Amino acid sequence: MGRTGCGQAAAARMGAGADERGADAPQLRVVDGEFYPDWEAVYRDNVGRVYRLMFAKVGNRPDAEDLTAEVFLAALRPLRVSASVGEVRAYLSATARTVLAGYWRRTLGREVTMLTDDEGLEFMPAETAVASDAAARAGVILAGLPEPYRRILQLRFVESCSVREAAAALGISVAYAKVLQHRALRRAAQLEVDR
Amino acid sequence: MSARGARRFVADLLRGRRPRSFRADDTDVEQLRAAITLRAAQPGSATPSEEFVTDLHRRLAAQLAREEMEEPIPAPRPVVDSTRRKLVAASSIAVAAAAAGAVLDHTVISRGPAQSGAGGQQTLVPSTGQWRTVSVSADLAEGGVQGFDLGTVVGFVARTGGALRAVSGVCTHLGCRLALDAAARRLDCPCHRTSFAVSGELLRYQLPVPPAALPQFEVRELHGEVQVYAPPGPVI
Repeated sequence: MGRTGCGQAAAARMGAGADERGADAPQLRVVDGEFYPDWEAVYRDNVGRVYRLMFAKVGNRPDAEDLTAEVFLAALRPLRVSASVGEVRAYLSATARTVLAGYWRRTLGREVTMLTDDEGLEFMPAETAVASDAAARAGVILAGLPEPYRRILQLRFVESCSVREAAAALGISVAYAKVLQHRALRRAAQLEVDR
Repeated sequence: MSARGARRFVADLLRGRRPRSFRADDTDVEQLRAAITLRAAQPGSATPSEEFVTDLHRRLAAQLAREEMEEPIPAPRPVVDSTRRKLVAASSIAVAAAAAGAVLDHTVISRGPAQSGAGGQQTLVPSTGQWRTVSVSADLAEGGVQGFDLGTVVGFVARTGGALRAVSGVCTHLGCRLALDAAARRLDCPCHRTSFAVSGELLRYQLPVPPAALPQFEVRELHGEVQVYAPPGPVI
């Protein structure tokens, strides 16, 4: 199994993303009043956005893909009517909210993550900004943790290292790396509650 | 106790697999939320794969084609007043978005000039044509509409306010043959719910881009016959 993401490069890219944020912010809503020529244009312009939104909320590719498909399949019929870009995005976001809520009800019986009103596609300016948003949110969690916890979570979650690789990087046993990860995640969850 | 479920969920997440469902409690939810937030920050993860994007496009196109075949033609509802070049968007998107609680910061939807037919209605004048009889004057009273098929062209001729007008009987969208609703003096496309006035103007459509108005034929009345200038008929 390839673990190409495991290592220093990932961390460097994550840092770079956060810096680009401010530069993209002024682009917000520039295309609000424009129109799509057909449903294919709607799809091409928004499939990446919907997918990114979903990935940020479920954290895995198979589910993010399924939920993205669900949004477009559900929204298809009304989308054939002409409306502005802003309205199409607002509608896709509303659909995405419903679809995500349904997903959590089905899988865990609780809403683990939600799409808030200001997290819609219509507020999503550029691709880099979204990627760095996720990085920034993760950064907040990591910054609140003591060093060993921060490092194990960084290696395992953000850089996709295996337990073995993470253990080697930290100079600890695999068994202890597992325990450390478990405790670190519990602490991270506690941080979320306290905030 | 669902700690095991949560641990398995996190393990799946780390392997990039679809996490398995379990009954989660409050503690689990907090941990999973943190795990997802961290996982969402992995570089490169926010881009959908090319295969997925292509495959979903194919599924959407298939669903669209299926729905268009199954949908009945609804009662006439004027959506477009093409003479004033204004699109009144009785848009179901706006309605649906509002109903779903989406905040719209603008409610007025206006659209620029229709992209097609901007130069007005075209007149179909064949390079090699002849005046061909499509009806007799007595059969086409004031307000009357008649269809004609000359082999080379099909169309409708109508008398409105004393004047005759003949238009093509083929939809300008994809070429389906229009059907006359004589009572409504309207030409309906059987394919995509587009309708034209007997004068050729677009009355309503549910397509992303408004189709052009129907081309008209030159029409005259001679010795009690209604004639249009059309290509000669096919050799039989």
